[in-house]
Amino acid sequence: MANHETGGLAPNQDLPLLRIRGLGVRFGTFNAINPLDLDVRDGEFLTILGPSGSGKTTLLRAIAGFQTPSEGGIEFDGRDIAEMPINRRPFNTVFQDYALFPHMTVRENVSFGLRVRGTGRKRLNDRVDSALGIVGLEELGARYPSQLSGGQQQRTALARAMICEPRMILLDEPLAALDAALRRQMQNFLKSVQRQSGITFLFVTHDQSEATTMSDRICVMRSGSIEQIGTPRDLYYRPKSKFVASFFGASNIIEPCEIIDVRNDVTSVRTPVGTFAVAGPAPEGGSGLALAVRPEAFGIGNGKPANQIELTVVSVSFIGSETITELKHRNTSLEFKMKARSDPAAIPPAPGSVLTVGFDPAECALVSGDTG
Amino acid sequence: MRAEDCVLWGFAALFILIPLASFLVYGFFFVVDNSVVYRPTLANFAEILSNDSYRTTFFKTLRMALEVSAINLVLGYATAYFIWLRPPAWRNFLVIALAVPLLMSYIIKIYAMRGVLGTNGLLNSVLLALGIVDEPVSALLFNLTAVRITLSVVLLPFMVLPIYISLERIPNSVLNAAADLGAGELQTFARVILPLSLPGGIVGAMFTFVLASGDFLAPELVGGIEGFTYGRLIFSQFGLAFNWPLGAALSILLMIVALAVIYMARRLGNPRWQR
Repeated sequence: MANHETGGLAPNQDLPLLRIRGLGVRFGTFNAINPLDLDVRDGEFLTILGPSGSGKTTLLRAIAGFQTPSEGGIEFDGRDIAEMPINRRPFNTVFQDYALFPHMTVRENVSFGLRVRGTGRKRLNDRVDSALGIVGLEELGARYPSQLSGGQQQRTALARAMICEPRMILLDEPLAALDAALRRQMQNFLKSVQRQSGITFLFVTHDQSEATTMSDRICVMRSGSIEQIGTPRDLYYRPKSKFVASFFGASNIIEPCEIIDVRNDVTSVRTPVGTFAVAGPAPEGGSGLALAVRPEAFGIGNGKPANQIELTVVSVSFIGSETITELKHRNTSLEFKMKARSDPAAIPPAPGSVLTVGFDPAECALVSGDTG
Repeated sequence: MRAEDCVLWGFAALFILIPLASFLVYGFFFVVDNSVVYRPTLANFAEILSNDSYRTTFFKTLRMALEVSAINLVLGYATAYFIWLRPPAWRNFLVIALAVPLLMSYIIKIYAMRGVLGTNGLLNSVLLALGIVDEPVSALLFNLTAVRITLSVVLLPFMVLPIYISLERIPNSVLNAAADLGAGELQTFARVILPLSLPGGIVGAMFTFVLASGDFLAPELVGGIEGFTYGRLIFSQFGLAFNWPLGAALSILLMIVALAVIYMARRLGNPRWQR
């Protein structure tokens, strides 16, 4: 499994490990998940990202078997598992509240999957020792869950899910209950466990930065549908919709946008604040187009980028390594945010002064607006 | 001590501890010519411990209470488990239906059981209709078995409710986790559900045992001569023999047993993992 060193992407992308086709979940008349397709590649870290109510947890529960789908198929490793009972499904879950067995010690919790399969004592002890070693809980095997910290419970839940050596682990917002510092530490830890073990991780979160730092690919969900799937870089630099663009950091959205010309892979668009060039072809089905520009893509004057706007300074905030400038356009109500590395030599512009702000055609994206 | 605590302890002392103590203290007095002599003595305890018929009644009663607890543990667990598996709307209805008899008069419930167990009673009608017996069985009433059956029925809610509560407390995700890790229904029950709900069963068994061992009304009304229990013995000292000191001494012994059982149940019903 040498492919895991290349960022976890499987060599054969034609044969996904998990293959979801037309999967839909309805609660009464409410469509929790509109019929959707999703492929999860062997060995990758795929994150399902979305705000609450987007259907991400329902999708995970349907895959795990806790939620019966209303329609569609789920294939794992070429086998149809849509009707398979939970306890036969060949993967395991880390639950949001950890769901540890309160009456069992850490060791008993971790060994549960082996004990129900009747694994012999010697083999069982070896496997539990190695799983506890991976998550760094060798010393705490005799503790009960009530005697563990949140992070330790989290590690126990992970070891328990890994003990049967599944090819895929489902993780339902496992870091949501941890404080910020511990969460960052656990993100790195989960990612390194995933890399080293080569187990496919299907991870659910509502936290964009968590998804970005951990994932090989991210599947953004919204209102029960998949909005966009791609690598974190794809989603950050090439968002397809306003929703994705604003979900991944605060984008400056310029709308409405009208395509006036497409030439040599450069699209020209007319907006209320000027005409701009955008690298790449125009998106298909562009109803209600908008132009998304990252705050850090803006620069003042230097290098003469193709796109320029004259904007009035509203305020300047110095936050250490970066300086954030709030700007507004004179004739429209559009507001902008510019983020730049702080320059010790520069004199910050006074509020009310007018700046010419430029951005590169490669550092902006045409996105579809709200399609409802 | 805070002011609220003082008030609480004051109320407890005034309405529970002092009346109880003023009654129990009689156990250390004695009776001469039908009047109480207020001089401390241990003679009552010596008499109880040396008297064969008191001892026999004592142990017979504890054994009967233990049997009722055991029967009810099985019946109560099955009932609680059945209710727990129903859809939520049904569950609340069934729990309330189960709790309603607790609001009814105890005597009426026992008379109702007498009707059920009698020669022309419901139980005999059912047995006859099913062809299990050819003629009405009179052995269902006025013996120790009748006491066992009656107490089991009357005390069942005390067993079902704590078990049901501990079943309700098991998070759904824990059951999902068991299935997710490969446990079938039977294994999930044996390894997860049962151990997590057993503390409730221990509390229920404690309730049943303590209430059954001290009861005198049910044995009095359905027990006949064979069903003469320790509770009736105490009752007879107050109501018939007018020997309050002996009655109080008998009560003290039963109270010691009850407190010991409650203490044990607290230990067992609160396992290490819960603390």
